[in-house]
Amino acid sequence: MLWLLLLPLPLQALGATAKTLGVSPRLVSEYVPSKSNTWTCLDGSKQIPWDYVNDDSCDCADGSDEPGTGACPNQPFYCQNEGHIGAFIPSSRVKDGLCELDCCDGSDERPGVCEDVCKEVGQAHKKKVEEETKIRKTGSKIRSTYIAYAHKEKKRLEGVIEASATEIAIRENEVIRLRDITERAESLSAAALELKQQSPLYISLVTHSNALKSLQREHKKHLQREEELSDILNALRTGYNPNYQDMAVLEAVRGWEEMAGLPHINDVGKDSVSNEEAGVQEDTASDVAEPEEALDDEMWSAEELEKDLDDLLNSDYVSLLLEHDEYVQSPTEGSALFDIASYLPDSVVPQFEGFRETLVSWLVTLGIIKGETPSSTDTSHLRQALTDAENELKKVKKEKEDAENDIKEIFNVHGYGLEGEWKKLDGTCLRTEVGDYTYEVCLFGEAKQIPNKGGSTFSLGKFASWNPSPDVKPGEEAYYQKQIYNRGTRCWNGPERNVVLLLSCGTENTLHSVVELEKCEYQLTGTTPALCRPLDNFGGKEGKNSNASRDEL
Amino acid sequence: MRSVVLFGALSALLALPDALAVKSQDFKTCSQSGFCRRGRALAARAQEAQSSWNSPYSVDPSSILILPEDSTVKAVVKSSLYPEIKFGLELRIHDDGVVRVLLDEVDGLRKRYDEAASWALVSEPKLSKGIRWAAGKKELRAVFGEKNDIEVAVNYDPFRVRLRRGGEDQIVLNGRGLLHMEHFRSQTLKETTEEVVSEENAEGQEVLQIENVRAWFEGDSEDAYWEEKFSSWTDSKPKGPESLSLDITFPNHGTVYGIPQHATNLSLPSTTGESPSYTDPFRLYNADVFEYIASSPMSLYGSIPVMHAHSAETTVGLFNAIGSETWIDIAYPTKRSTHTHWISESGIMDVFLLPGPTPEDVFAQYARLTGTTALPAHWSLGYHQCRWNYVSSDDVRTVQKRFDEEDMPVDVFWLDIEYAQDHKYFIWDHKTFPDPVEMTNEVAAAGRKMVVIVDPHLKRTSDYPVYQEASDLDILVKPKSGEGEYEGWCWTGSSSWIDHFNPASWDWWISKFKTTKIDTGFSWIESTEDIHIWNDMNEPSIFNGPEITMPKDSIHYGGWEHRDVHNINGMLFHNNTAQAVRVRSDISKRPFVLTRSFYAGSQRVGAMWTGDNLGTWDHMAVGIKMVLANGIAGMAFAGSDVGGFFGNPEPEMLVRWYQVGIFSPFFRAHAHIDTKRREPFLLDEPYKSIIRDILRLRYSMLPIWYTAFKENSVTGMPIVRPHYVMFPQDTAGFDIDDQFFVGSSGILVKPVTEKGKNEATIYLPEDQVYYDYFTQYAYRGSIKGKYVIVAAELHQVPVFIRGGSILPTRERPRRSSPLMRLDPFTIRVALSKAGTARGELYLDDGVTYLHQQGELVWREFVAEQPQKKITRISSRDLAAQNPGKAVDGVALTTYDPKNAFAKEIEEVRVEKIVILGLVWKPSSVKVEGGAELKWEFVPGVAAIDTKEGTASVLIIKDPKVLITSDWAIVVS
Repeated sequence: MLWLLLLPLPLQALGATAKTLGVSPRLVSEYVPSKSNTWTCLDGSKQIPWDYVNDDSCDCADGSDEPGTGACPNQPFYCQNEGHIGAFIPSSRVKDGLCELDCCDGSDERPGVCEDVCKEVGQAHKKKVEEETKIRKTGSKIRSTYIAYAHKEKKRLEGVIEASATEIAIRENEVIRLRDITERAESLSAAALELKQQSPLYISLVTHSNALKSLQREHKKHLQREEELSDILNALRTGYNPNYQDMAVLEAVRGWEEMAGLPHINDVGKDSVSNEEAGVQEDTASDVAEPEEALDDEMWSAEELEKDLDDLLNSDYVSLLLEHDEYVQSPTEGSALFDIASYLPDSVVPQFEGFRETLVSWLVTLGIIKGETPSSTDTSHLRQALTDAENELKKVKKEKEDAENDIKEIFNVHGYGLEGEWKKLDGTCLRTEVGDYTYEVCLFGEAKQIPNKGGSTFSLGKFASWNPSPDVKPGEEAYYQKQIYNRGTRCWNGPERNVVLLLSCGTENTLHSVVELEKCEYQLTGTTPALCRPLDNFGGKEGKNSNASRDEL
Repeated sequence: MRSVVLFGALSALLALPDALAVKSQDFKTCSQSGFCRRGRALAARAQEAQSSWNSPYSVDPSSILILPEDSTVKAVVKSSLYPEIKFGLELRIHDDGVVRVLLDEVDGLRKRYDEAASWALVSEPKLSKGIRWAAGKKELRAVFGEKNDIEVAVNYDPFRVRLRRGGEDQIVLNGRGLLHMEHFRSQTLKETTEEVVSEENAEGQEVLQIENVRAWFEGDSEDAYWEEKFSSWTDSKPKGPESLSLDITFPNHGTVYGIPQHATNLSLPSTTGESPSYTDPFRLYNADVFEYIASSPMSLYGSIPVMHAHSAETTVGLFNAIGSETWIDIAYPTKRSTHTHWISESGIMDVFLLPGPTPEDVFAQYARLTGTTALPAHWSLGYHQCRWNYVSSDDVRTVQKRFDEEDMPVDVFWLDIEYAQDHKYFIWDHKTFPDPVEMTNEVAAAGRKMVVIVDPHLKRTSDYPVYQEASDLDILVKPKSGEGEYEGWCWTGSSSWIDHFNPASWDWWISKFKTTKIDTGFSWIESTEDIHIWNDMNEPSIFNGPEITMPKDSIHYGGWEHRDVHNINGMLFHNNTAQAVRVRSDISKRPFVLTRSFYAGSQRVGAMWTGDNLGTWDHMAVGIKMVLANGIAGMAFAGSDVGGFFGNPEPEMLVRWYQVGIFSPFFRAHAHIDTKRREPFLLDEPYKSIIRDILRLRYSMLPIWYTAFKENSVTGMPIVRPHYVMFPQDTAGFDIDDQFFVGSSGILVKPVTEKGKNEATIYLPEDQVYYDYFTQYAYRGSIKGKYVIVAAELHQVPVFIRGGSILPTRERPRRSSPLMRLDPFTIRVALSKAGTARGELYLDDGVTYLHQQGELVWREFVAEQPQKKITRISSRDLAAQNPGKAVDGVALTTYDPKNAFAKEIEEVRVEKIVILGLVWKPSSVKVEGGAELKWEFVPGVAAIDTKEGTASVLIIKDPKVLITSDWAIVVS
């Protein structure tokens, strides 16, 4: 600030040829002639007559001899901007005939070209700063509640960790106890079990089960492929580039529409009439889809296959074997095999009796129905209890681990910020409608593009990182002004969709704009109070001292 | 050299994955085109018959009618095949020695299309007066020319036309007897062309054999006479066969250039004869070729049927004014002769023989026929930033802001098709461009412009006023029935096309561009005078049409089929758009309208670019050759998309492409919608700064470019000049097409178009000193030609100043070119080995047509040695001495050096003079009659030395002389 005092007042009085025109306050002391009336380029490369300074002819390699004329490229010009804030403009704008906002005093142009509008510019700037300050103030209040939330959350998680730790200790003991009992019981019955497992019925069951599992895996693969294919085709349908009208592509789209019962994309949203048509088409499509094939009663429906098959396949066949064993041995409890006779018509009963005897004797021979190993069911119950206990333990451990991880993230510079101000927004979803789509970003989760008029929703990517630029240091404001979501649904014939979310301080969590600057690269902008740092962090208190801010520049 | 082409084609194919190759099945080869097949078969029969082959066409000597007033002669030509058919021959000699040869069927069943020349010619050519045609027993001839050394002779039987100079054949028409004008016939007359011959074969059975007595010439089948299928399309050919086959021989010229547009070498490779470079003929049929091959005779977007034939002795030219699909076979039977065979689908024969004898003469002769490049708006020589697409008005604002933040100059931001709602051109999509006028005004505030696309396909929907009005006016192209509207598929979906051959469409189309409300319908009120236009897809490109274009049997105004006018179609749309932009304001301003499709004469309208190139090194290299070839055919305002339209160029490639771009007359970066953004400000260092410097280099040289454009507009001399144009006698340079000169400035450039290069080899054709533009290193050529190797690291583009040149530049970086208007000049004097130099500078307001009223500045700078040890640099006015050559199309009679424009820039001074190659350190440097100036001298190699090495440099600091005044500076 010293220079203000040192600067001789009548700067303007020196006129357009002033040697210090365009010189910044920091460097003004360098622009004085030597005793021999020479001057040395600031980079020391050359000594020139003092006359050469600001003579509109470039002499120094670093351009320093022409701070005020634009004669040397890349030489910044300093505008004093009395009444506003001083600023540099590049030499390309000096004497180019245009008035710059950055140079509101017009000192960069020939006299008479630009009026000094610094007063107005300064006022407007002040007003803008005030408005921003207001928003920041309000925002930072909200932000402090976010920080408080983070602290509360941390406490809660600490509680969870503590409670989990206690529970883990208890459950670990329980597991040890159960394992001990089970192992002892099992070692007794292991030999018997091995024998039982030779049963063709069991082997066949296991084979069936394996076959079914394989089938299910294959089926899932196919379903997934079908889904991917329909994604591809949907993307093709909605996103295909009529570039050079590849008729093959058009045929593919039409074929898919017919198969999937979709209206032709070029008719969608044309007008209400065609919308109705489209509706009709869709109806017929669902009609077509319904009458697949009549299922046998015992056949599983697609829904059952999806829901119940896993349960079935997850059955513990060893336990079943043991249960079966027990079941077979206790006809009183109602074994179907022994009781079937009661359901049979009398005329068949004699044959059945004979058959049953043969069957039972086979079963006895095969060791499937034997009475000597009542412990087999007990061991399977024990095993079950052990498994349950182990699962419980795992669950609690996981809970603890999660809580520990969450706690690490809360006050992490790469996570929810050093002050934890972002924790509150974890999972908060912001939405905006642009054109035919609604864009949704669930912070730290997933970004999506949802068509307003029906059709598939595309993932635009999952949260990947804050501003990844190597020029930006984690923790600084610019770091949190950008979030990256990547690995969204792949574009037809293109890359995976990605999102860059640009955030700024605002009193609300909102999305403002969405642009697809290049194919499948979305740039979203929005505001959040989480970015409204308190004013103290920014230096300067409410622009109290304009000289102070000038000094900073 | 020619065999290199095939290798190039192969490597281009190998370098690209299948997905990135042209869909060649979409386009015909000669063998898939009926008339081309017939034409080539005719040539094959002639080849086989050798000396027994005789053209059936002859002149009826009794019919000769000489019109001595107009140096014109008329006669009847007949074919022995069809004695009842008459052809009318007419030869006219223009006052500059150009000979026009016309042949048309007379009293035929129908009329051949004869309007191609009327669209191409700038005005009706002036005929020579009083040249005497003399009809002899065997031939008809006329002798003319300043030295009476040009002779045109018409042989009667067979019909043959020869142009001779000094007794040597220059151009021969029908020298090989391939002329065939298929006359109109009706399908039922077929039997009469055949004779039924019965004879008994060996078994005694009677065999009915049909013998075609014309088979020796026409072939024995009616190959594709009445219908032709290609892929799923059928061409109904209601007029039947009407093709024109014509052989044109250059018996004493071993190199031919021209016939753009093809992605190939400047010196045209052979397509027939012994081991030809290509197997198909060069094709001229304007087509939207998706991902074209970097070396191929395939058609591209534009067609100019102009050829230069060149030898060390003379250069001659040929303009074949035909608008229909044309195939051209080229063979080099010897090193010193060229055979060409032109096969066209329809139209009369209308051939202009340009006698030369120098390239400069041929350019002037062609310029008198079809005009020169209209002097463009000065800003359009700046940098154009394009992309498919800047997606919103905010996007445009951000791009502009980023350029300014990076202090990179740019003059124009472009909007591709996505600005328009449903691709209804003119109609902004307000979701993304809510404020187009405000946006444009913000761009214009920095002296910049916008270019917005308007394509020729109109969306067929009643809520699109432009379509609805055109439909109501019945000015759309009609389907083959001749009724209703032709409907095809383009960006807009179902679309129709305005028939610009219909005069009723002209004023209507022009009115659409008015920026104010008009009474008669839609006008583009949401635009400003800072918006200029881009006409794409005007071949026309039609996605579901045969060969991605309009069916040939569609009907234009006057009942002409599309086949007759196809190659002219794009030019008319371009022309009417440019007229619209020109007259939309009260004071006419020079329009800028870029076209993709073009024809002979398109140069009068505006710029072209080489279409949808690929981001490959091959395409970067071939782009230079294509721009040079366009210059040969008059279409000088040309450029290729910097960076390549398709693909994501690596930074190195992008930098090299900008180096190519700044040395193209038209300089635009463009990118496909599927590519990553690649505006120069997005690059990392060092690439970003390298490109900033490249852009600034272009801007500093704008005075040189504008002066070259002015020269082109008056003389037709190309803006970028290949070697043979500069050094017509240097046979070693005939095939050079990777280095070139900028106008007459003396700047020689060889852009690097290969990956990983750090040096370049330059051919110096003469015993002269060439200075490196940046290092001032003096290289020396030799009278026999010499190759020198120079450093070409990524940031270096090899640029030289030919000794003897003076270059005016403006070296203060600005945001846009209009902001340089009052900037001072730097003058570089590159002394020749004789110690002299000269250069020119042309300036005007760059926007209006006031230069046609003499508001301009045209200076000459001369460096001479009036006495030993004295070098005098002077500036003098050229306009007052040559007012007739100052402006194209307007013969100024006087020039006022104090005109309004000159006054406006009267304070503009010379801020620095750099003199390269002085022998000694001066003892004094003074403005003549003034005080000693401030100067610095760095000793080095002198121009008159024989050594190479860094040249001596004298820098005169701020001599305070004005650009519009006469002055002299004496260095002694």
